[in-house]
Amino acid sequence: MADTSHASSVQKAPFIALAKPFSPEDEVALREALKRCSPSTFEAAVQFRKTGNPEHLPAVVIGVVERYVEPELRVKLKDAADDLRMIEDLGIDSLTMMEIVILVEDVLQMTINNEELRNLRTVGDVKAFIDCKVRGLPPPKPTKFLPIEHIASVMPIQPPFLFINEASVSSLGASGKYKISGQEFFLQGHFKDNPVMPASIMLEALGQLAVLYLLEGLVPEPGKAVSPNMIFFTGCEGVRAHRICKPGDILSLSIKPKRQKMPLATFEGIIRVGQEKAVIAEEITLTFGFVDAVVAPVENQATEGAQLSASSSNPPLHAAVTSS
Amino acid sequence: MPRAFITGLGFITSIGNDSTVVEQSLRNLKHGFELYPPFDKPDIPCKVMGTVKGFFTDSADQEDWTYPKGYAFKRELMRTMAPHGLYAHCALTQAITDAKLTDLDVSNLNTGLYTSSGGSPMLTNYHHGRVEALGVMRCSPFGIVASIVGTLNFNLVAAFKIQGSSCGFSSACASSAHALGFAYDEITLGRQKRMFVVGAEDGNKDAILPFAGMRTLSLQTDPNIASRPFDGARDGFVGTGGATVLVIESEDEVMRRGVTPYCEVLGWGQASDGYNVAISHPEGAGLQVAMKHALHASKINPDQVDYINAHATSTLIGDISEVKAIKAVFPQASTKPWVSSTKALTGHGLSLAGAMESAFSALAIKKGFTPGSAHISKVDQACEGINILQKTEAVAPRIVMKNASGFGGANVSVIFKQV
Repeated sequence: MADTSHASSVQKAPFIALAKPFSPEDEVALREALKRCSPSTFEAAVQFRKTGNPEHLPAVVIGVVERYVEPELRVKLKDAADDLRMIEDLGIDSLTMMEIVILVEDVLQMTINNEELRNLRTVGDVKAFIDCKVRGLPPPKPTKFLPIEHIASVMPIQPPFLFINEASVSSLGASGKYKISGQEFFLQGHFKDNPVMPASIMLEALGQLAVLYLLEGLVPEPGKAVSPNMIFFTGCEGVRAHRICKPGDILSLSIKPKRQKMPLATFEGIIRVGQEKAVIAEEITLTFGFVDAVVAPVENQATEGAQLSASSSNPPLHAAVTSS
Repeated sequence: MPRAFITGLGFITSIGNDSTVVEQSLRNLKHGFELYPPFDKPDIPCKVMGTVKGFFTDSADQEDWTYPKGYAFKRELMRTMAPHGLYAHCALTQAITDAKLTDLDVSNLNTGLYTSSGGSPMLTNYHHGRVEALGVMRCSPFGIVASIVGTLNFNLVAAFKIQGSSCGFSSACASSAHALGFAYDEITLGRQKRMFVVGAEDGNKDAILPFAGMRTLSLQTDPNIASRPFDGARDGFVGTGGATVLVIESEDEVMRRGVTPYCEVLGWGQASDGYNVAISHPEGAGLQVAMKHALHASKINPDQVDYINAHATSTLIGDISEVKAIKAVFPQASTKPWVSSTKALTGHGLSLAGAMESAFSALAIKKGFTPGSAHISKVDQACEGINILQKTEAVAPRIVMKNASGFGGANVSVIFKQV
């Protein structure tokens, strides 16, 4: 089965051949353009311009973003977590995004379109986008923000056993939040007079986020869709609980795809409460399957009242003619 | 009809960056001129400028700029500013403090902001240059908002969260006097309770040098005599930049807040020469009418005006036009009113002049002095017949008229009264 994971396809794609050699004048211009960035950003940019190796890109991108972030917020970039949100966490508005893009265009000698910018919501999005641009690949699906209504409408899992309040999903992974309300039915018994979120339920929450990723983040083959009714837990490895979580705690969930070979998908996951680690799962494996994607019915004004088939195997016009 | 009062002032000028220093400069006739380093080239004939001190803004990259202690600007705020936007922001901050206004007083539906500037030629040139050299999409997204004539209102309305009336006025050297007049109207028509009036200009090489080609700039190399309105040996004006902000409030607001105004804005008038794009009418026809309109709107007679802060820029033609206009409107001109031009100390601020010199007038009324017209060795014969005050008098004028005239023959006259 073809490997559809984006992460591994990026590792295999070759560098783009360099369009122009890197002259001393170019280096002077580059130094001027990056004069307000850290020295390591300049070094990474020089290496990229000389070799074309995309491994240097994350350092350049983070360096340029950092230069435009307010000094007090720069510390957030130190961990360079991919799900750091440009607007909410780093205070970068759309005008600052334009400044970042113009400097990146200048430094990497590339052109970036307006439409492509609008979808860049997290640091991870920006890195993936630049990486794909440089390799000549189409950009990955942008991060989607999913509120509870959307999550409930697509997931096979529902309350009282749904442990995600909101989520962000991209082709690179998913993050989510769940607030332990204290009203969860199992807390009455776990423990008596001392409500504590069971570790197994927290592992379940990570698994549910992985289900959401499969349904909303994974890019399937054309004509196919992941079926919500075929996703089941098959196993986990290296699960550790570090923190007792109680009503009022907000669980920050995060999963990343690790490997995929049909019908299995394996993820790594972590739950944090604030900055503290609560649960780590080195591997969570789910089984899943595809079905044909649904084709929307075509309206045919000549045969009102005709029953139109929703299946792609029965062309609408044929159905209209044969059913009258 | 509500009355209007000036309750706060803010200054970033060649003669001081706060009202205390400005007052001392006006009292002691201390000018703000120096030999301007960017003019120090053999092919530049003019050498003197009224420089703003304490700031560095001679760069198209706002992150290179510096400003005095006491102000703090985030990068996001400065990236859309012209140099004079920075000056104006500082002056507005001062004026708000001076008028003892809270954040709620500044940002509400009844408080507006009128501005005037000529835009920033330096930044316009820079951004257009980038488009030519690097292509359209490499032009900074902030190029337009930082450069064009509305840059002051774009920036200040956003930064100070102004929700009332806002507009920019563009009548060359009469601009900020127009802004003041129309701001007065907003209040007396009952549309707004408070108006900020802002005048500002870059006052740098790109803004001033084009005037050299018009042969209107003084070519004097001595900063102590280059700007000398009404003097027989004057040879043109000296440029300056900076910013001035006035806070005008309705009588109800003054009472509600319990503040003491600098003075009342009694009325204003305007009229046009209809004569020439750049040269003033030889008899000052438009200015005569503007002054008459202002007196009429203020319901006062000419003999009640104690002092005129003249437009007089130190140009050969302009000064004479104004003198003739004053003689035509004021029958006792040889004795009353006193006339002086503070441009002898500051230089000509272009769009800034009307607001800056109105603010000087308000300061003079409140603090009890009448500024003299400096640097005069001998009054030009053609300027005789009016009472030019050559030294500052320690007397508060009770009624002051401020004149401003601009290219194309725009003329504005505003009247202030002691409270």
